[in-house]
Amino acid sequence: MARFFVERFLGMLVTLFVVSIMVFIIMELPPGDYADRFAFRKFSGLGITVTEADIQAIRVELGLDRPAVERYFSWIGNIVLRGDFGMAYAFETPVTRVIGDKGWLTLGLLVVTLLITYVVAIPVGIYAAVRRGSAPDYALTVVSYLGLALPNFMLALVLLYFANRWFGASIGGLFSPGMQQAPWSPAKLWDLITHMWLPALVLAWSALAYQIQTVRATMLDELGKLSVVAARARGVPEGKLLVKYPARLAVNPVVSTIGFDVNRIFSELPIVAAVLGLTELGELLLRAYLDLDMNVAGAILLILTTIIVVMNFVSDLLLAWLDPRIKLGG
Amino acid sequence: MDPILQVEDLTVAFRTEEGPITPIQGVNFAVGRGRTLGLVGESGSGKSVTTKALMRLLPGNARIDPQSQIRYRAKSGEWVDIHRLRDGARKLRQIRGGEIGMIFQEPMASFSPVYTVGNQMVESIRLHTSLNRREARALAIEMLAKVGLSNPGQRIDQYAHELSGGMRQRAMIALALSAGPALLIADEPTTALDVTIQAQVLDLMRDLQRDLGMSMIFITHDLGVIAQIAQDVAVMYLGTIVEKGPVREVLKAPQHPYTRGLLRAIPSLDRLTHRLSPVPGDIPGPSERPPGCPFHTRCTEAIAGVCDRLEPAETMLAPDRSARCHLLQTAGRATA
Ligand SMILES: Nc1ncnc2c1ncn2[C@@H]1O[C@H](COP(=O)(O)OP(=O)(O)O)[C@@H](O)[C@H]1O
Ligand code: SF4
Ligand SMILES: [Mg+2]
Repeated sequence: MARFFVERFLGMLVTLFVVSIMVFIIMELPPGDYADRFAFRKFSGLGITVTEADIQAIRVELGLDRPAVERYFSWIGNIVLRGDFGMAYAFETPVTRVIGDKGWLTLGLLVVTLLITYVVAIPVGIYAAVRRGSAPDYALTVVSYLGLALPNFMLALVLLYFANRWFGASIGGLFSPGMQQAPWSPAKLWDLITHMWLPALVLAWSALAYQIQTVRATMLDELGKLSVVAARARGVPEGKLLVKYPARLAVNPVVSTIGFDVNRIFSELPIVAAVLGLTELGELLLRAYLDLDMNVAGAILLILTTIIVVMNFVSDLLLAWLDPRIKLGG
Repeated sequence: MDPILQVEDLTVAFRTEEGPITPIQGVNFAVGRGRTLGLVGESGSGKSVTTKALMRLLPGNARIDPQSQIRYRAKSGEWVDIHRLRDGARKLRQIRGGEIGMIFQEPMASFSPVYTVGNQMVESIRLHTSLNRREARALAIEMLAKVGLSNPGQRIDQYAHELSGGMRQRAMIALALSAGPALLIADEPTTALDVTIQAQVLDLMRDLQRDLGMSMIFITHDLGVIAQIAQDVAVMYLGTIVEKGPVREVLKAPQHPYTRGLLRAIPSLDRLTHRLSPVPGDIPGPSERPPGCPFHTRCTEAIAGVCDRLEPAETMLAPDRSARCHLLQTAGRATA
């Protein structure tokens, strides 16, 4: 296990390195550079003519004239060693301040979304497989196909409408209006939790439908295995038997696709955030792209991809723990 | 014969996508205490379904006909009507593993890939005895040693896929016997093994059966194996038992044309090459069971106009010996 852990951990570091290079390349893609945009932003509308020489001066001052490789290492070095993502030109503040606690909120939203997905999908999928062909099984199949067909933002709108009608209050956002700027306190945390479930449910929606079907299919497969019949032939009580033998293996495909789920949630996050008025990284990323504020965009991309890569690592470890054959395969 | 198990009129039907099939029809047999019954027949004749029915292990699309009777005499001496037990009944769980053990053709697939051999053995022992975890583990190691595994103290913590094919089947036998069943059902336990290992496992099972005073149902499609391990034999064809009796008598003087065909198919050194063509003709599918005698489509001795119309009744040749064939009945009765 220790060797497996070390191998996967090194693999993760390599992946992160490659990912950071790709993010850096993306940051370099838009026409012009930071100095151009900085100068334009700072002096436009002030009647000051900015010359190429002024921009060059800014470039030298900020070290942007150095070769890309050098800049990459200074960029990533600052991030890794000091947690410093550079300056957001649009706000003239450090990127970390612009991002603020949006990173943590996004991570929280992600974790709650994943929890909702798995806590519901795994038992429901197992139940549907064990009761195959029953009325609840058919009902679940219909509901999950609906889940796959109905887009997230539609669900978000529908939920918003009903939440508004039934609870009378605005349910959008991650906080009540008064709480947004308040310092962290138990009351604010509770406020966050009461707001979080709606976007988490919306984001969990399609994964939920998909994972129920996956768990059901694998569970059906596992239920027919000889090892299950053999355990039954040894007198293992049915409930214990289901959990110990087929169910343990039926969650494997779910665990191994945690990374995909994270990826998908992040892809759907911006549009859901826009509909629900959430302040999280997706929405900020969209804004940073529009402003061509590449330091902010790069920081967010790096954070999101790092989360995806780390979650993949976690999924690998969980899988190895669930299924000892995997460790043997290296 | 002092029976430990009596099966009467066992009939099993399946719902399938092509409609209902009844691959087991009116099966009768008994297993004597301390004896081994060999159940023999070609693949698809219903041997596995029959023995799964005894343990109530059939899948959801199967139905045991209500007139079927499966009666088992427990270690306590009490007769249990297995066919009457509720699905989740405690008694059924006690019988599974504790009274009747089962081993299968695929030792690899019989073990869960994610638990060690020891984990599954300790689980089984603790379900059926009052031993604590440590005692159960000691017993498991003892059982592994008994079936001939070297280094049992180390093997117990290995996974099935870390053992060789022969070791795996030995471990499976140890697992099935760990809770001390009085009857062992072995469903083609040697079929998937190499020939040399087959002989070893066969020897092992015969020795264990004798040493533990167990009863056994040994399934095989090879009548040659029966001679080595069983005292009684039942020959199955398309879900019916066509001939049964003490092994020595059945092998010496087979009464049913199908048994004779199987006997001719036993490989001997000079005829080893004929092994692949046992009884001539194709076995009809489960949904196309022929009317009359189910064997008449392949029988070289079939009586035209009789065998394809009338199902032969069971003819008792001795108290412990019978066969189902029109040739055994008086000409007058057969044509009536
Ligand atoms: N789960 C099932 N569903 C439908 N038919 C089955 C099922 N299991 C077995 N059968 C049918 O029962 C017949 C006997 O099968 P089986 O007992 O496995 O034969 P054997 O063990 O003698 O090779 C087969 O022809 C097969 O079609
Ligand atoms: S009853 Fe007829 S067909 Fe069947 S085995 Fe006897 S002779 Fe052959
Ligand atoms: Mg079989």
